[in-house]
Amino acid sequence: MDAVLLVLGCGLLTALATGLGAVPFVFVRSVSTRTIAYSNALASGLMLGASFGLVAEGTRFGAWQTILGGVVGVAFILATERYLRAREIHFGEAHGHGARSMALILIVMTVHSFAEGVAVGVSFGGSVTLAFVIVVAIAVHNIPEGLAISAVLRPRGVSVAGCAGWSIVSSLPQPIMAVPAYLAVGAFAPLLPYGLGFAAGAMVFMVFEELLPEAYERGRKAGVALLAALTLVGMMVFQQWL
Amino acid sequence: MDPTITVLVYSSLAAAAAALGAAPLLVRQRLPIAWIGWSNALAAGLMLGAAYALLLAGLDLSAGAGAAGALMGIAFAYWTHAVSRTTELELNRLEEMSADYGYKILLVNTLHSSAEGVAIGAAMAVSLPFGALVALAIAAHNVPEGTVLCSVLTSRGVRLSDASGLAVVTNVTQVLLAVVTFAIVAAEPSVLPWALGVAAGALVFLVLFELLPECYRQAGPRSIALVTIVAMGIVVLLSGRGI
Repeated sequence: MDAVLLVLGCGLLTALATGLGAVPFVFVRSVSTRTIAYSNALASGLMLGASFGLVAEGTRFGAWQTILGGVVGVAFILATERYLRAREIHFGEAHGHGARSMALILIVMTVHSFAEGVAVGVSFGGSVTLAFVIVVAIAVHNIPEGLAISAVLRPRGVSVAGCAGWSIVSSLPQPIMAVPAYLAVGAFAPLLPYGLGFAAGAMVFMVFEELLPEAYERGRKAGVALLAALTLVGMMVFQQWL
Repeated sequence: MDPTITVLVYSSLAAAAAALGAAPLLVRQRLPIAWIGWSNALAAGLMLGAAYALLLAGLDLSAGAGAAGALMGIAFAYWTHAVSRTTELELNRLEEMSADYGYKILLVNTLHSSAEGVAIGAAMAVSLPFGALVALAIAAHNVPEGTVLCSVLTSRGVRLSDASGLAVVTNVTQVLLAVVTFAIVAAEPSVLPWALGVAAGALVFLVLFELLPECYRQAGPRSIALVTIVAMGIVVLLSGRGI
């Protein structure tokens, strides 16, 4: 039972770390059209890099399963967009396209946390020896994900505290999924490539359909491309090899 | 076969694939703009898939060298655009007739294919199957790229046969750099993670800078996103199956 509490507590800590991603936006005062373009580029690079990492891990368990998960992830985004488009949604002061992007990134990142939670639980794998190393690694790894969320929410009018709050909420599925996955590694491990593929498919599709087109529309393409390429490489190195 | 000859053959085949890009123009003289967008998206997806595989291979060998190489690749691709004053160039304009525009397009295509050459050469140095996979992805990517270039060239009066020839010629640097990269890595294996990183970084930047912005002007974001992600998925699937 102690181990379960430990996994849960660690999971909560890693979720709180996601909120730190909002911190850089304390220093961004002016919010202009350009800010939206470059924030989108930043979020795109972070999400593409994270997806590359997820796919790399998923294909270790099974390439077909990962791809199948990815297909379902794309279908999920298409269905969610259909649902959101059919409704007049408001997000704080934002509405229309902006509000849809905000709702979508929160849904995508929250759903992706379920898969990551399973990955955490499975990697604990019944032994708690490496627990703290893993916890620190995951907490650090969550910070840029909070940054991606804040990059979409902040330029569209959400306060810095609000960005931190939403980032933490998006990570709550991690502890919730980590505990059952830890208790039943055998049952959850085969699901892992599907889950990782799903998360990657959903994130990549959202980048190509929502974030990048808007970034090119509002910013200079050289700046957008440079920022997205650098953050993609940075994220992949950060999450996989540090 | 001598490995260098193998690299020469594979990269030449990949370069020659650009000529196939003329095929759709045999059927229709003027392609609908959305088709050009999907061609670009297909090329972008294949290239991103290849970049994923290359970066992963580079980081596996040495995280530091792979990452530093990737940064160099991005910086190099950005710099070549900056010094050739092509950062604000629209790449697929069918009406623009000036000779200056035509030369810039050929220049951009040539620089673009050098990055692909480094990719093939470095991948071949990892293993023959991996090199063949990257060469295949680049070859498949050269076809829609050839289609776009042929549409641009024929729209300003170049004959289709000449346009398909030029599409292959812009890829000559690809063959050259594939062989040179392979030879350098064979002589000095510690360069390999750097070369893989450079190739991946340059490919990622070129996709984000040259291909995707054009795509979104030519077709809707949803269809572009679908074509790109499917093409990426195919490369990821092939590279993830132990190849």
